Amino acid sequence: MLDSAPNLHLIYCLFRKTEERQLAESRTSLRFEKVSASIGVHPLVSDLSFEVMKGETLVLLGKSGSGKTSTLKLINGLLMPDQGTVFVEGTATTAWNPIRLRRGIGYVIQEIGLFPHLTIERNVGLVPRLEGWEAGRIRARVVELLEMVGLEPEEFAQRHPHELSGGQRQRAGVARALAADPPLLLMDEPFGALDPVTRVEVQREFLSLQERLGKTVVLVTHDVREAFRLGSRIGLMDEGKLVELAAPQDFMNSESQIAKEFLEILNLPVNNMRPV
Amino acid sequence: MGFLEFVSSHRQELLQLTWEHIVIVGVSCLMATLAGVPLGVLITRRPNVRKVVLGFANVMQTVPSLALLGFLIPLPFLGGIGARTAIVALVLYALLPIIRNTYTGIVSVDPAVVEAGRGMGMTNRQLLFMVQFPLAMGVILAGIRTATVISVGIGTIAAVIGAGGLGVYIFRGVSMVNNQMILAGAIPAALLALSADFLLGRLERHLAVRPDSS
Repeated sequence: MLDSAPNLHLIYCLFRKTEERQLAESRTSLRFEKVSASIGVHPLVSDLSFEVMKGETLVLLGKSGSGKTSTLKLINGLLMPDQGTVFVEGTATTAWNPIRLRRGIGYVIQEIGLFPHLTIERNVGLVPRLEGWEAGRIRARVVELLEMVGLEPEEFAQRHPHELSGGQRQRAGVARALAADPPLLLMDEPFGALDPVTRVEVQREFLSLQERLGKTVVLVTHDVREAFRLGSRIGLMDEGKLVELAAPQDFMNSESQIAKEFLEILNLPVNNMRPV
Repeated sequence: MGFLEFVSSHRQELLQLTWEHIVIVGVSCLMATLAGVPLGVLITRRPNVRKVVLGFANVMQTVPSLALLGFLIPLPFLGGIGARTAIVALVLYALLPIIRNTYTGIVSVDPAVVEAGRGMGMTNRQLLFMVQFPLAMGVILAGIRTATVISVGIGTIAAVIGAGGLGVYIFRGVSMVNNQMILAGAIPAALLALSADFLLGRLERHLAVRPDSS
């Protein structure tokens, strides 16, 4: 019986290991493992590997065509990897039922995302309606959400998207993405079409909302200021590759050439900008 | 005998013929819509079927109406003398604008809007009924309107094969060299076409999505 002690220890260690792994898995919302994707012969992203923790805001920064949006689409299954695997909540996107996967993920796109033929109430209540909630519950949820994003329900619920300003549309878009209370939000240049003043205002609202809700957010932008303002980590993408992934303060010291290019914009004093 | 006197003395018969005309056109346009819209949707998803379907509808449109009616008469089930043959011919004519407009309407819905719907977890069916149809409604209705107006005109020729309708007066008037009778057939037919155009146009404006004013 004496030699059973080490065995017990071994079993205990193994147990600890699985437990740790499970714990790590439960803290991860998303995991990319050597993911490459392409459309036809055009490579979109190559060899992406990273993790997104629950409750963090990962900002994907990059120029147009750097693969940011493709990375988002890999998460909600609008795009499938050619190689590698994308895990959402521990399950590969290829194993998810695409409809279920997408209903569990809030998706905010530039203002085009709102359906032009539906009122704000209908737009915001869309996913709950798809999920078969009863009418009263949907209405209550819509009112709650519109209040949360600062749109007076009385005033805005019955309007169509084209009767709203850019900033209001954006708030409605966020409200719609939050409708079914998904743990994960994907935002594709959500504030891109706004004027600079409104943009800062909406960003501030987003931050305070995020503080309260603690969602996992992956946000795509080409605006380096936005990345620093909103991101708990910043992932820099270039030509389909993730060239830098760091918290904002570490990102400042990045050695990569493209990161320096972006940082230069950040450091440019406003009064030095002259019309060329 | 003046035109108005002719109309008032033949009021009963004229109403009868107008009603026949409306029934023939109404039934054929309804059937063409019921067949054409699903076909239009089908070819947005099956590019290989598209050429066949649009080709068929196109060829039908190029066959002269009188010849088409002549072809149909000897056919079993579809053909023969009477309104049924006329309806078959009108359906064949009405198909092209309806199929083509359904197809155009659906493929011209902004792909970003469609992708937004897909990204929110809509199934293909939900996408079709909640996004693509509503946004394409104006174009689809414009196709149905074109088809209806064409059918009112071609419907007059159906009188040749004994289908009734306002064409009866036109053809009878031609053979009797009676201008009043020709006009009594042609004017109500024209009015019918105009009012169908007007009513469907109103419906189209009512249902079509207002353009984004931003």
